[in-house]
Amino acid sequence: MPDNPGRTVEPAVRVEQLTRVYDTGGNQVTALAGINVGFGRGTFTAVMGPSGSGKSTLLQTAAGLDRPTSGRVVIGGTDLSGLSETRLTELRRTQIGFVFQAFNLIGALTVEENIALPLRLAGVRPDRAWLTQVVERVGLTDRLHHRPAALSGGQQQRVAIARALATRPEVIFSDEPTGALDSRTAAEVLTLLRAVVDEHGLTVVMVTHDPIAASYADRVLVLADGAIVADLPQLGAAGIAEHLASLDRRVLR
Amino acid sequence: MIGLAARLLRHRAGPAAATLLALIAGVMILVAMGTLVESGLRFRAEPRLWAAADAVIANRTVSHTYKEFGGDTTTSTVWLPEGGTVDAALVDRIRQVPGVAAVNGDTRVLIGSPAAVGHGWGTFAFAGRPIVAGAAPRADDEVLVDTRLGVAPGDRIDLVVGGVRRSYQVSGSAETGAAEVFFTDAQAARLSAHPGRVDAIGVRMAPGANLGAVREIASAFGATTYAGKDRGKVEQSENQAAQTLLVTAGSAFGGYVVLLIVSVVAGTIGLSVRHRRRDLALLRAVAATPGQVRRMLIAEAALLALVGSAIGGPAGLLAARWVHGELVGRGFVPAGFPMADGLFAVPAAVGTAVLVAVLAALVAARRVTGIKPIEALGEIAVEPRRGGRVRLVAGLLSLAAAGASGAFTLGAAGSTGALAGAVGMLYLFVTAVALLAPRINAYAARLLTKLLPRVWKVSGYLAAANLRANAQGMATVLTALVLSVGFGGSVWFLQNNLERQTTTQSSAGTLAERVLVAPGGLPLDAAREVRELAGVRAATGVRRTQVVVRALDGIEPVGAQSVDPADITSTMDLAVREGNLADLRAGTVALSATLASSSGWDVGDQAELWLGDGTSVTLDVIAIYGRGLGFGDVTLAAETVAGHTAGNTVDEILVSAGPEADTALAAWTAGRPGTEVLDAATRTRLIGTDLALGAWLNRLLIGVMVGYAALAAATTMVMAALARRRELAMLQLVGVTRRQIRRMVQAEQAGLLGTAVLIGATIAALTLSAIVNGLTGSPIPYVPPLGWVAVLGGTTLLALATTVWPVRRLLSAPPIDNIGVKE
Repeated sequence: MPDNPGRTVEPAVRVEQLTRVYDTGGNQVTALAGINVGFGRGTFTAVMGPSGSGKSTLLQTAAGLDRPTSGRVVIGGTDLSGLSETRLTELRRTQIGFVFQAFNLIGALTVEENIALPLRLAGVRPDRAWLTQVVERVGLTDRLHHRPAALSGGQQQRVAIARALATRPEVIFSDEPTGALDSRTAAEVLTLLRAVVDEHGLTVVMVTHDPIAASYADRVLVLADGAIVADLPQLGAAGIAEHLASLDRRVLR
Repeated sequence: MIGLAARLLRHRAGPAAATLLALIAGVMILVAMGTLVESGLRFRAEPRLWAAADAVIANRTVSHTYKEFGGDTTTSTVWLPEGGTVDAALVDRIRQVPGVAAVNGDTRVLIGSPAAVGHGWGTFAFAGRPIVAGAAPRADDEVLVDTRLGVAPGDRIDLVVGGVRRSYQVSGSAETGAAEVFFTDAQAARLSAHPGRVDAIGVRMAPGANLGAVREIASAFGATTYAGKDRGKVEQSENQAAQTLLVTAGSAFGGYVVLLIVSVVAGTIGLSVRHRRRDLALLRAVAATPGQVRRMLIAEAALLALVGSAIGGPAGLLAARWVHGELVGRGFVPAGFPMADGLFAVPAAVGTAVLVAVLAALVAARRVTGIKPIEALGEIAVEPRRGGRVRLVAGLLSLAAAGASGAFTLGAAGSTGALAGAVGMLYLFVTAVALLAPRINAYAARLLTKLLPRVWKVSGYLAAANLRANAQGMATVLTALVLSVGFGGSVWFLQNNLERQTTTQSSAGTLAERVLVAPGGLPLDAAREVRELAGVRAATGVRRTQVVVRALDGIEPVGAQSVDPADITSTMDLAVREGNLADLRAGTVALSATLASSSGWDVGDQAELWLGDGTSVTLDVIAIYGRGLGFGDVTLAAETVAGHTAGNTVDEILVSAGPEADTALAAWTAGRPGTEVLDAATRTRLIGTDLALGAWLNRLLIGVMVGYAALAAATTMVMAALARRRELAMLQLVGVTRRQIRRMVQAEQAGLLGTAVLIGATIAALTLSAIVNGLTGSPIPYVPPLGWVAVLGGTTLLALATTVWPVRRLLSAPPIDNIGVKE
């Protein structure tokens, strides 16, 4: 399903002239001001920027959770702009995985059921071998029949990653996946995401404000005021922090 | 989807339990009502008296065909209140028809004491029953009686007919299926209240003969031929009255209960969807299409409805059995009336419940389309502002409609009409409140922002902030509370007002100091005798009957009194507004203001109506009076109705006399066993008791509806309170003490309840006064002092039990356990 050898040149996700304007009580707030960017297959990108820079909006519109005011989003060769809500959902279900900061899981369902939920909603028979592999990879084999309430925060995030992997998506979008975790648990989760990219060739786009988290990525995009102000290769945590600090100074001036 | 729905339901048991409770109670009420209606609809009167007749000719209904606005014609038919008669000449005409083997005209004689019905001996052959003992009556003082009367051949029996007691020799007895007495044909004709006319004609045909000719002749005489199973419709009027009562009461209230269930179930399902917003958003984000989420909600609702039916259905059957027992015990329904087993009522109730739940889920699911998957990402589920102008406009329209219906209700005649109008108006008001609730809450919260901190300090400040923030979420709670206060406050008290007004009018309008009554009535000429007694200034014989008039939608019977006009102005004061009651004589009529305004008749107009036996008459309107509830909407002269009633008696004689007449009255009654002299106060008390008995069913049904509304309010509030787990934990963690939280909840409840009671009471007051004004001309309703206590106390208790208790439970758990939980 995700493997499409004929299109390897095409990035997994591409956005063109993406703008998103919110209308809050007569006030027009521009969250994204015409962004062009591609996320190559098998890459791990960190999207950073100060609060209100539009990084979360970029993630949501690129993932088809929110619709852009104008511009295009292309995922795996499919243009999202013309799709109905139902078609969009079906696309999300097969091509996109999500890991949010918190409240990722349905409390009524067990770990196993949560992981298989997208497949169940799609009416697809789960690929047992793949699911077993995924569960092993995230280290939850002995927790399958627990409910999310019985798991720690780090474990919950690992369940969310397993769920995202279950459909072998084109891309995994992740919004502050370690925002609610301590540094050790965060490192585990980030290592897992890194491994997903390295071992399975998946594409990960992660929004974060933490330079250490960003240091796990191959590439760091920095946004400010709805535009990309820097597109950097991996600089290491210190380099990223320095870069962000200089950006803040610029904003302050 | 159903599996997933069931899993999610089990996990979120709170809101599901509220919906389930509403559905269980709803199904239970519907099954009980449905069983009553079904019993009424499926009742087929078995012919008893005419069991051996092939056909029975009678005049039992009156029909009126009129044009509707659209140009279609509609025929409205009602059963004749006094049971119509047929010209005796028809008997001989039928006898000459070829193929007729036997024919008999039945002279029905009402026996006042012991309660029985008399017939001529000729009818006995048509009952097809053997004589158990003795022989047929041969002399005029001989009777054959049913074994139910407990006398044997050779005994003597006293029968009161037309208010006159006579002693008869029992010649024989038979088992006829009811308390029947058979006189000789000649004696029956002599006792008849309508000489020259018979109650019904039984026909037996020769084998193979056709009824066609008989039908034709009968219809030329204005009578209907009942053959086969229909023969039973001619007799057993007690069962027919029960049938009508069951169908009308059950369906009218059942309809309102359906509306109530719709609003309650829609409310709880809507609330449960709102409380799960984040779960649903997550499902959407993870990969559920809007259609899948919608289907899941619908499956969930259908599942709840089925479980609710499984519990509510059997409970409803038990409730129906209990109601039946009570109805029989209070004399509304004869003991032998067959009750249906719910073969149709149960599926209908279950179908309704499933339909209501699924429709409510559909409406709630429309909201799902508005749930954006990105909401799953948010830290706090913030309620989006919903419903803009459309909701406001719809709310204002309902409000206007409620006002207009209030004006319209003024024209409704009779207590049933008033009650129906009241409930309709109430629904419009409640709908308006439901639509405007978020705005009302927001406005009330702004007003309370200044007030609450003064009383409750910091807790009050927090409470006001919560009320402002949750204006939308509390809309359902407000609606449910207003519904129960409005219902309890108006429909229940309307019944009080009706009863009070009736007795007040009756006692204020009765000038007579003494009243003569007797079981089975008094003779027609008794009033004349009493008038001549020493010390008696005036005496008026009164018979209560009904006449049929044209109403808004067809024709309907209304209460009437036939009076001896001679002394009427000295014995009763009907509060005449126009015309003069002294002009009352044969061919004239006086009307209540209510009836006059609804039918558009004025003094000097010609009123066309039907007497109780279906005779069409045109009467000159000579007066319009105010005391219609106490005395009936129509007042006729005794001469006008003479011969058109089932019996020839008066129900009571109003006597205007000083204490000096007591001796003479006592002497007069002494000669007539069973006759009693009552003073006016005793009579008023007896009328009150009768009314309360008659209103029992209304009270029961209203009580059920108010109870259901209260249940809805209770479940909604418990749901709303339990949904605050996270919020309360958060408050505790930032340093608000439990005591302060409890006080905050109290302050919120005080604010919310105050608003609800205020609005509910206003609605109740408006509804009540519109209807009371229509009935009595005075817009100030009467509310019993205990009523105020019950409404206010009940609401307060409800709020305390349904909010303070759940919150206390939430607070008993360490806050840190609750903070991680969603919402």
